[in-house]
Amino acid sequence: MSTIDYTKNEVNVKGNRSLKEIDDLIIAPLDRIPNMKFFIAIGITSTMLLIGAIGIALSFYYGTGLWGNNNPVGWAMPIVNFVFWVGIGHAGTLISAILFLLRQRWRNGIARFAEAMTIFAVITALIFPIIHTGRPWVAAVYLLPYPNQHGLWVNFNSPLLWDVFAVSTYFTVSLVFWYVGLIPDFAVLRDRATGRIKKVIYSIFSLGWRFSNRHWQHYEMTYLILAGLATPLVLSVHTIVSFDFAVSILPGWHTTIFPPYFVAGAIFSGFAMVQNSLIVIRKVFDMDDLIPIKTLETMNKIILLTGTMVGYAYSMEFFIAWYSGSQPEYFTFVNRAFGPYSWAYWTMFSCNVFIPQLFWIRKIRTSIVPMFIIAIFVNVGMWFERFVIVVTSLSRDFLPSSWAYYRPTITDFAILIGSFGLFFTLTLLFTRFLPSIAIAEIKAVSEGAQPSHHGGEDHE
Amino acid sequence: MNNSVDKNKNQIDLPVVKSESKPSHWRSLDEYNNTSTDNQLKVKANEFAEGAENFDIGSKSKVSRRKFMALMSASSAMVMAACTDYRDKGEIVPYAVKPEEVIPGIANFYASTLTSDGSGQGILVKAREGRPILIEGNPQHPISKGKLDANGIARILDMYDPGRLQRPRKIQGSKLVDSDWKVIDKEIIQSLNSASSSGKEIAIFTGKIVSPTYAKLIEDFKVKYPTTKVYSYELFNDNNKQIAWKKSTGGNNYPLIDLDKAAVILSIDSDFLGTDGNVNENIRQFTTNRDFENPTSYSRFYQVEGSYTLTGSNSDYRLRLTPENYLDVVASLVNHFASKQGKPTMSGFKSLESLAKENKWKHEAASKLLSDLESNRGKAIVIGGKQLPVDLHVAINYLNDLIGASELYRKSESNFNAVSLSSDDEIATLANNVKSGNVGVLINIDINPTYHLPYHFTADNLKKVKTVVSLSEFENETSNNSNYVLGINHDIESWGDAKIRTGVISTQQPVIAPLYDTRQREAILLNWMNGGENYSEDIYHKYLQSNWETNIYPSLNRSVPFKEFWFATLHDGVTTFNETSIVSTEVNSSSVSGIKPTNKSNYSVILQENYFIRDGRYAGNGFLQESAHPITKITWDNCAMISPATAKELNVEIGDMIEVALNGKAIDLPVLIQPGMAEKVIAVDLGYGRTNSGAIGNGVGFDVTPFMTSKGLSKWIYTGATVKPTGNKYELVATQEHHALDDEFLITEVRKNAEGEVTGGGETFARARSIIQETTVANYIKNPKILKEHEHDVFSITKDFEYNNMKWAMSIDMNKCIGCNACSIACYVENNIPVVGKEEVGVGREMGWIRIDRYFEGSPEDPIMSNQPMLCQHCDNAPCENVCPVVATTHSKDGLNQMVYNRCVGTRYCGNNCPYKVRRFNFFDFRDNLANGHYKTESTKIMMNPEVTIRARGVMEKCTFCVQRISQARQNAKEDGRTLKGSDVTTACQDACPANAIEFGNANDKDSRVAMMREHNLGYHVLDYLNVKPNVTYLAKLRNSDSLGVKSEHH
Repeated sequence: MSTIDYTKNEVNVKGNRSLKEIDDLIIAPLDRIPNMKFFIAIGITSTMLLIGAIGIALSFYYGTGLWGNNNPVGWAMPIVNFVFWVGIGHAGTLISAILFLLRQRWRNGIARFAEAMTIFAVITALIFPIIHTGRPWVAAVYLLPYPNQHGLWVNFNSPLLWDVFAVSTYFTVSLVFWYVGLIPDFAVLRDRATGRIKKVIYSIFSLGWRFSNRHWQHYEMTYLILAGLATPLVLSVHTIVSFDFAVSILPGWHTTIFPPYFVAGAIFSGFAMVQNSLIVIRKVFDMDDLIPIKTLETMNKIILLTGTMVGYAYSMEFFIAWYSGSQPEYFTFVNRAFGPYSWAYWTMFSCNVFIPQLFWIRKIRTSIVPMFIIAIFVNVGMWFERFVIVVTSLSRDFLPSSWAYYRPTITDFAILIGSFGLFFTLTLLFTRFLPSIAIAEIKAVSEGAQPSHHGGEDHE
Repeated sequence: MNNSVDKNKNQIDLPVVKSESKPSHWRSLDEYNNTSTDNQLKVKANEFAEGAENFDIGSKSKVSRRKFMALMSASSAMVMAACTDYRDKGEIVPYAVKPEEVIPGIANFYASTLTSDGSGQGILVKAREGRPILIEGNPQHPISKGKLDANGIARILDMYDPGRLQRPRKIQGSKLVDSDWKVIDKEIIQSLNSASSSGKEIAIFTGKIVSPTYAKLIEDFKVKYPTTKVYSYELFNDNNKQIAWKKSTGGNNYPLIDLDKAAVILSIDSDFLGTDGNVNENIRQFTTNRDFENPTSYSRFYQVEGSYTLTGSNSDYRLRLTPENYLDVVASLVNHFASKQGKPTMSGFKSLESLAKENKWKHEAASKLLSDLESNRGKAIVIGGKQLPVDLHVAINYLNDLIGASELYRKSESNFNAVSLSSDDEIATLANNVKSGNVGVLINIDINPTYHLPYHFTADNLKKVKTVVSLSEFENETSNNSNYVLGINHDIESWGDAKIRTGVISTQQPVIAPLYDTRQREAILLNWMNGGENYSEDIYHKYLQSNWETNIYPSLNRSVPFKEFWFATLHDGVTTFNETSIVSTEVNSSSVSGIKPTNKSNYSVILQENYFIRDGRYAGNGFLQESAHPITKITWDNCAMISPATAKELNVEIGDMIEVALNGKAIDLPVLIQPGMAEKVIAVDLGYGRTNSGAIGNGVGFDVTPFMTSKGLSKWIYTGATVKPTGNKYELVATQEHHALDDEFLITEVRKNAEGEVTGGGETFARARSIIQETTVANYIKNPKILKEHEHDVFSITKDFEYNNMKWAMSIDMNKCIGCNACSIACYVENNIPVVGKEEVGVGREMGWIRIDRYFEGSPEDPIMSNQPMLCQHCDNAPCENVCPVVATTHSKDGLNQMVYNRCVGTRYCGNNCPYKVRRFNFFDFRDNLANGHYKTESTKIMMNPEVTIRARGVMEKCTFCVQRISQARQNAKEDGRTLKGSDVTTACQDACPANAIEFGNANDKDSRVAMMREHNLGYHVLDYLNVKPNVTYLAKLRNSDSLGVKSEHH
């Protein structure tokens, strides 16, 4: 069957498994002793994490001077990494909340994993605002508005403070949302658990879930409300992260296009990262049926869409810079494309704008290997986008006397590697300790779960 | 008062109980009945319990009760003291007997003089609780008038440098080991005696001596040791100028010039604003005629030079020329005037027109020079650099005579040399005597012959001298070849006097007892003369005082008794008197006959004096090493400056190594492409490449003293060098990137006419972004509002804060600022700014709060340069303030942008958002980071200004407008019961500025100068279109030329 029948919904879950089979399949990784591959994988990621930890420890001991930052370039890799990871954290909530509200059922297979990634990405991101400060030991306290006898208060005019609230709110809501979704699955796990300890833990986390109709009713309502709450956050977090730049007066940062541009970019990179990870997961755990190619294809379409939006933003920035007639503004953009950091700019541009255009081709959109490679390019490109925005603008701003070229140091890279180490270590542990796919939700979209006119049979 | 006493009496009277009567108030029945009296008496008699009466403490122990208590409390106090880790180890102790003049928290100022560097500058030393923390110029000194060069300001760091020689050392085997003055004195006196008796020469080899008493001491020394000879040497000296003056006029002393009366100045490669002559005085006089309020008498200044000097950067017309052709310029001018006046001319030289064409000078420059010299007779002067050959000076003297410049020669005063510098022949004689073993004792005082005269005073040659004694503050290259290395006192630990001019004599007094076991150089000599037995710290003090009493005081004809006079002079630091100076001005016109043109062959090499390291003596001073070269902005290095075209010819880029071979000596040097250099000229700073200059100075830069031979045009100028690239690379670090003149960074292209002259274009960022605003004098006179014409009104959408009372503001007059960096060094000292070192400057982390930005404009071959001191602008709408998440940077109601270091967490957002990029972040604990914590030692800690917080690692810092001085002034005003005025406060940079370019005060005080400058037609704010409302106003520079080298104006 090479033609598509548009009169019917495509199936979101293949394989026509029974409910028990679904349980078994999803929970399988939790039950068996991991094989050698897993230990090698977690060995690598935790080594990366250790490298990062050493980098951070050295930075704490000697000072931020171990990084490449200098006097015009006050922000560099740590902030680039922060924005990158917060961006990655966007896909999860978008998939679980916005797509939930939009009744996009294809999301059910990937929602759990995407949400977990959101949590881990935000945890990874949250390291950076603290460690990038000169005095992290006081930054962790002084950035919070706690009442004190000294009459010290935080500055609510500062976008950095908005950031503190935006990201922490986002983290909290994402975490709650994720946990609420996990409750029925914890109940399944509890019911299946054989060991005493497991049973106790799962019992606690399942909050006495008994699969009763009333439970489901409350659950669905809570989930809906939380989805409603999380939806604006998807837009607000990166908007506020973009304010860190847009509220300044620096050419290249001081741009009104930043909020939508950042949100689009965040979704873009988040989807790419989810896609990358899912491809690995579904292969390793034989979940091809639960996450069919069709789901991945839909994600690729979103990558194509957001990539094009990002490309539009790049061009529009350039146009406005020229149109503004402001010399420093215009110079900043010319300098980005043709100055000393042009290598970073064109890396960004090709990875984010040119390469995703390949997704117009259906064959590429639906083949695992090409889409995997393209998504990696997107992630690289989006990291460079933040690098271009943060570093090129700072390195050459108003007074040419202060211009300076920024070069990252080995410590900068160690911390970058460490952030990937943290993220993937958490992800790997997640696949071992929690169901990577929402059991309850996947059951809801598997064949026969929905009432139909022909007895649940979708076949001719 | 009486009342209260009476009350007390009553109270005391009350409890007296009369035994017969019943008390009106009673506490118990016993008391009421008075029955207990007996009992009480009994108790009183047996105060102690039964048996206690017989207890004789004396029989039990020899320790009395009192003694026991004392021992007990002392031992418990000791135990407690031993257990505590109280970090202040008892160093803050109030005075038991407070010195009358010291009030804790209030600074004292002592007037003194710098003598060790041969400058004789009058200084004021600011001391807090007995610790000197800042050296400033002495306002009462008639020559320096309260100003001090960058080196003098930075000298405070030498004082506390942990690398100072802390005790005398003598050689043992091949190593210098610490020894004792007694031992060393004895041994040296023996050597002196044996040299003296065996007829061997005792050579005192010293730097410039400015002290008359020191000079007399040396004479006395000669009497005691008759074989003594004195040699005085400076790497940079004005001997050629002196010789030429003698040749031209027969006079001994070339005259001082009244630069402030000159309308036209032609300088032939004289760096008189940087290194040549009395720089502070030159700057003051030169800038007098660069007055924006008086544009019609604005002087015009032409500079002919091959290198690019600070002075050249301040010229109206900079005429690039290879040094071989300097003589042609002078000769063609001589011929022009001499032929008119019927005086002897000079033949065989190129004409001015052909030089102008060859070197692509601005088309009007040559003709303007001629007409200016002609029409300003008596108001025009030609100045020759001290490094120029004698012939050239002779020609310049003649030219000055022809143009009537003798009217600008100062008649009332002249230079005074306590001891004249030795001629090159005399130094050669000393070298020969050393080599031939005729010298028995060589005493090096404040001089480094092994480094400065590398061919003469080698280790091998010095071995032929039985006893080599080196007196210096720091170890140096000569120390390694000496038998004795004696640490001497810093200037502010020493007594002395100085006379550098006729009619002025200044005194030097110690402000602190010697930190280490060192002695002042004069005292060491004096002690040897006295037999070395009875040294006391005040021997030279007494000698000085008696010399003044017997020799100097009587010649001054003062009416006050000596004691009063002496203390008054010490207090003021200087005294003036009438002294006639003989200035010969009759120039012998035949002196120029026989002067032949010099021919250029291959590359020329100019060895120049560095503005901060000088002859290398300051190589160990971190402030000076880190100070950016005013032209190249290079720190921590010297380099071979070459023009862009020469670089192209050699096919080299910045940082490529070239091998410069001169008279058989080849040295590898890193290239710096310096726009504006003359073609095929290589300029290198001397004084670098020190090998024994401590943790800071070792291995910084490249030593080019081996180039100094007798085969040059002069000792500092050579021709016939060959150059080839070596293919190696070297990292030069600068505080500014070297891209500002790459073609891609010119916003408009340079336009040239058929002859290759620049006709326009070449507009740069500095102009397009209104960072630098300039205009010509003529345009300004024509239209005073020329710079205001294109001003746009920017408005705020929020209500501005109203500053009703004080509003601190600064104005910087760019007509006066010459870019010397004194402000920056003064700021380092005043505000405890750390030195970060080459590596950190290389990654852009220098910490200076005020820097001098440099911008070029025009073509890379012949640009004009603009300076701009850049510091925190204390903006009303400060963009740094609203982005700080923890409110660590705030605005005071008197207009200061403040930093709260304790609150700062170091997000660096403020720095990012500062359009002027004046905020500096402490990426490390920089004091600890540099050279193994060289500047984080006990001694450097006590140098810190106690009024300024030492910033921790991880916080942001920036210019505070010297808020500590504002607080001090406010406190003083409060004490005096008056309101604070803007003029009560001067900032450290303002005090240091030799040109008085910086004004500081209350912008709301309409009568103040700072307010006037804010409103002035030439006043502008950098990046005004951002509407951040900066409070530092710059007064646009006027250039006294026809055009700015580019499009005449920016519109």
